[in-house]
Amino acid sequence: MIRIYRALLVAQIQAASQYRVQSILWMLFAVIRPVIFLAAWVAVARSQGGQIGAYDVRDFAAYYICLSLVINLVTSWNAYEFEFEVRMGRFSPKLLRPLHPIHYSVVENVVWKLTTIIPLGIILVFLALTFDARFRTTPAHILLFVPSVVLAAALSFLSSWVLATLAFWTTRVHAITTLWDRAGFIFAGQIAPLALLPGPLQAISLALPFGYVLGVPAEILRGGVSVSTALVLMGGQVFWVVVFYVALQRVWSVGVRQYSAVGA
Amino acid sequence: MKRYLRLLRIFFRTELQYELEYRLNLVLEIVQGIVVTGTSVGAILVLFSYTTVLNGWDLGAMLVLLGCFYLVQGFGELVLQPSFEKFMEHVRLGTLDFALLKPVSAQFLVTLRNFQVVQLAQMGLGAIVVVVGLSRIPNIGFAEAVGFPIALVCGFALIYALLLALSTFAFWFVRVDNLMALYWSFMDAGRFPVDVYPGWLRVTLSSAVPIGIAVTVPAKVIAGRLDPLGLGFLILGTIAAFVLASWFWRLGLRSYTGASA
Repeated sequence: MIRIYRALLVAQIQAASQYRVQSILWMLFAVIRPVIFLAAWVAVARSQGGQIGAYDVRDFAAYYICLSLVINLVTSWNAYEFEFEVRMGRFSPKLLRPLHPIHYSVVENVVWKLTTIIPLGIILVFLALTFDARFRTTPAHILLFVPSVVLAAALSFLSSWVLATLAFWTTRVHAITTLWDRAGFIFAGQIAPLALLPGPLQAISLALPFGYVLGVPAEILRGGVSVSTALVLMGGQVFWVVVFYVALQRVWSVGVRQYSAVGA
Repeated sequence: MKRYLRLLRIFFRTELQYELEYRLNLVLEIVQGIVVTGTSVGAILVLFSYTTVLNGWDLGAMLVLLGCFYLVQGFGELVLQPSFEKFMEHVRLGTLDFALLKPVSAQFLVTLRNFQVVQLAQMGLGAIVVVVGLSRIPNIGFAEAVGFPIALVCGFALIYALLLALSTFAFWFVRVDNLMALYWSFMDAGRFPVDVYPGWLRVTLSSAVPIGIAVTVPAKVIAGRLDPLGLGFLILGTIAAFVLASWFWRLGLRSYTGASA
């Protein structure tokens, strides 16, 4: 398995190195939305004398910079490609290969993250300086952030595969993924840090998987939660990863049988 | 002029017929539009649960702005995005020849040819949000009511000029999808007034990628916060951008050789 992964990794890095400009441009998507909402929250905080709840302007800056990094590390685009491949009938050859298609997808995502991390880091440092961000991060937070972001990436990856697998039945999952993305827009900590969401929204975001994908690791990296709270939140992450792992296995085994190639 | 309007109507009708073939898809797209608009309004409401004014914009003005954002974005996706994508494909395949040989302005024929009719629903939702926002603004004078559509048309024209200039690069580099992706990633910034952004971003959104202006100025006009001078500058700037982009397009066209030539 390790040998397979090494081969896939090399092939994917070679493929990705041909599209360097593209990967930098796509990375902007991970930066621009956090900056937009950061600017809005800074304006709101200024109108209220500089402080909203436990956040002042510099805390908002730190939160959204962490969020941008987390978005880049966590997001996977599988559902979009998957639907396209199923609809075009391009998925069939992948099914015939001896390796489960999910492994290609894992490697693609890892390489994408590796190639974008350095330019993104430069942009984020620049943002941290312009917005004068204040991080409350301690070494313990960084230790917790690593497993937390891995869990979040796994959660996002597995959930997007579960959604994508629905393409076996409908061949059009675009509507479903939009719904999912917009729920993430509200509940994942993009429009506001989870702590600032109004009561019911906050409850939903922590009861459903959304908050655990972006908001939780971002808040841990910023040092916005205590170590014990962070551990509880990571428990939630583990729970949802297990749920989606089981769900994917079920959905996949039923779905593959259901699949009849378009164009066949 | 009349001929062009008739052509536009024919283009629109054929594209409408095409889309009506996929009715379930149409319904799904409309549902998606409602979800997207609704969640964006939700985001604004969350922000305004902590304040009554954001940089001088109250909730009513902010909703008008969001509605303008979806009007401008909807216009881009209604006709510009599908047409420009087609145009770049024409350049790549060399089929632009067919458009150049027809007895109408090639720029017209290429840039306003394709429609995603369902995006009208997105624009309609934007209009609804504008109306809801306006209902919270006490009095709207005659000048505002006249200035608003003018400013909105200027916004559309600015986006058109920007996309025309960006896609012109296809004549030299063939594949410019990336430049278009750049536009789409910046587009999102239009959902807030351009004055909330830090200096460098505000300058970008007012000049090179004038999405900020295209959305903010119409909203300012209707909320009674723009003087006639500002509107005048917008009109002049829009005309300049349009002329400049068209000139650039013709310049690029001279480098077009056709794929098989």
